[in-house]
Amino acid sequence: MKSLYSITTAVRRAAWNAMTRVDGWVNRLYGSRYNPLYHSGAIVIGLLLVLVATGLYLLLFYRVGAPWASVARITDQAWLGRWIRGVHRFASDAAVVAAAVHAFRMYAQHRSWGPRALAWVSGLALLAVIFVCGWTGYVLVWDVQAQLLAAEGARILDVLPIFSEPLGRTFVGERPLPSAFFFLNLFAHIALPIGVGLLVWIHVSRLARPVLLPPRRVLWGVVAALVALAIVWPVGMAPVADPLRIPERVPLDAFFAFWLPLTRRLPVGAVWALGGALALVAVLAPWWTRPQREARPGKAEVDARRCTGCEQCVHDCPYDAITMVEREPGDPRPGLVALVNPDLCVSCGICIGSCAPMAVGLPGWTGREELAVAREFLGREPRAAGQVVVVGCEWSAATVESALGGAPLIPVPCTGHVHTSMIEHLLRGGAGGVLVAACPEWDCRGREGGKWLVQRMYHGREADLKPRVDRRRVRVVEASAGEPAVLRAALEEFAASVAALADGDADGDGRTAADGGAAADGDLDAPDGDARGDVSLELEGVAS
Amino acid sequence: MSGPLVRGLALVVGGAAVLALGALSRVPYTSADAEGGLLRLSWRARGERVTECRRLTPEELEALPLHMRRPEACEGRIAPYRLRVSIDGAVVADTVIRPAGARQDRPIYVLRDIALAPGEYAVDVAFAREGAPAHLALQAVVEIRPGEIALVTYDPARNALVLRTAQDRERSGS
Repeated sequence: MKSLYSITTAVRRAAWNAMTRVDGWVNRLYGSRYNPLYHSGAIVIGLLLVLVATGLYLLLFYRVGAPWASVARITDQAWLGRWIRGVHRFASDAAVVAAAVHAFRMYAQHRSWGPRALAWVSGLALLAVIFVCGWTGYVLVWDVQAQLLAAEGARILDVLPIFSEPLGRTFVGERPLPSAFFFLNLFAHIALPIGVGLLVWIHVSRLARPVLLPPRRVLWGVVAALVALAIVWPVGMAPVADPLRIPERVPLDAFFAFWLPLTRRLPVGAVWALGGALALVAVLAPWWTRPQREARPGKAEVDARRCTGCEQCVHDCPYDAITMVEREPGDPRPGLVALVNPDLCVSCGICIGSCAPMAVGLPGWTGREELAVAREFLGREPRAAGQVVVVGCEWSAATVESALGGAPLIPVPCTGHVHTSMIEHLLRGGAGGVLVAACPEWDCRGREGGKWLVQRMYHGREADLKPRVDRRRVRVVEASAGEPAVLRAALEEFAASVAALADGDADGDGRTAADGGAAADGDLDAPDGDARGDVSLELEGVAS
Repeated sequence: MSGPLVRGLALVVGGAAVLALGALSRVPYTSADAEGGLLRLSWRARGERVTECRRLTPEELEALPLHMRRPEACEGRIAPYRLRVSIDGAVVADTVIRPAGARQDRPIYVLRDIALAPGEYAVDVAFAREGAPAHLALQAVVEIRPGEIALVTYDPARNALVLRTAQDRERSGS
């Protein structure tokens, strides 16, 4: 069992390495915001909408009594039908590719087990339904590919003891194929997308603020590319199916019929065994590669004594795992208290950074522990004094040593973890600047870690970085693990600007990084009277 | 890399990905089966029904509700049939086909493919209840052409097995 674990873990690690490398290349070309790989899941939904729109047009002209002839007539409409049919077909192919990329990413990033298991399994079910939907669509054309698909599908299904007569006899030419067959196929082809909608709803049901569509530029870029392909290289008509002939040269759609050449050579029992084994591996792969129990982070917890009931963690949790409930009887504090549902919590730790009074966090890891880490770091790290300290996401380029250029690093599992007080504490403790190295916003393992961090640092989102902190000494850089050069360049540029600030301070008023810089900008606020101000006083005891 | 170069490269990579999608959506597949031909047997037969009855004992009758007391209990099923196919005198299939359904009370369905190299064959098909003379039979000389299927099926109008080929269809123009 141990060896199986090491093998599966090595496979997942290799998948992750490959993914980050490709991500780095694609980011360089399209930028992380428009990297289609990051939006693969949302692209699938966008493509499903394209399929519905183009499918409605095709439905107007399709005739169940003359399937091949009606599709041929659509294909003959040079101005509209031909490219709409092409887009319909290419969008289905692209949906399979995007779904496969999305599944691969979720697996490689450890985002497929625990509370995410529902999304994993429903995602696989979605892919299966998309396949079935595609097969019914291809059969509707009733060309030689449809003939192969139908005959092979019938051969595979006929071993199931649920049909009153062998399905395969339908396609042998004993009698003409009835219109009812194509009507049933058409019905399934139209009804299945309703199932897809239901599965999508289940798929994202455990997410707060699910992203259902990619950025417009990505969506329209994909659609434009498919339209261009459909016009430049239109889908033609393969010969009509003939039950008295063996199809010789068949244009197969590799995305939907890739299995045909293999299964036609195998006995039906072997096809079922192989298909069942593959399905089992796909469903169970995340469980085989998840960290062993002792290495898994615990679920988030709330210290009810410190919770002020502000609800910020409820707003920030990307998995809707936190709710507000009545306090325990006898608790004299007013208002509600946060409660974590461990069945929904994925241990992303984003609640740590959201909680001004540092009441929420993973076991042994709240904002208080982060302050202790910062203090301990400043004590043991002589390079920190006056220099740039990197606080880096363990999934970003900060994991690559060459990206740091010797700068001291405080690793964190996600930058959403980072409590802004930790940044302030580092600057007060003598660091010249703090560079937060985040993974790209659209690829965050915790979904919204980087996004919330930026809002807390620059846009006043609770728990915000206090205005008294000199923003010139703080920077957030997005760099995936495949882009160490991006982080290295940003770090060098930031270090130079911090050094220039230090020179300016030496020439000028001599203010320190933590308290003077902000004042020099006229950015100094009096300490506010919120819970965080109170907590700062308490922290002295925690950290010391 | 400079901006225009990156944009150009992005277009090239995107274009290549889209072209790959287009190419993979119509990969030419050549079926090796098409070099030869097939003799396909496919029909549905309503086999002979076999009913087995026995007299119930007085105790068994007593145990039944009044309205269900019949002196005999009968169970019916369709008899199994034997399919025998010879090609040029050599037996290529000799098998018992059981009726469909868990109680074997549904019709008998025959669906068999026999791969043949192109050429002319004397085909002899016999389908009969086991131990009985042939219920359905066909003796014919069949020309198998590459990629063609010769279908042996049941014609209810003639109550006989018949042969259909693509050549016949083309000759008749249907």
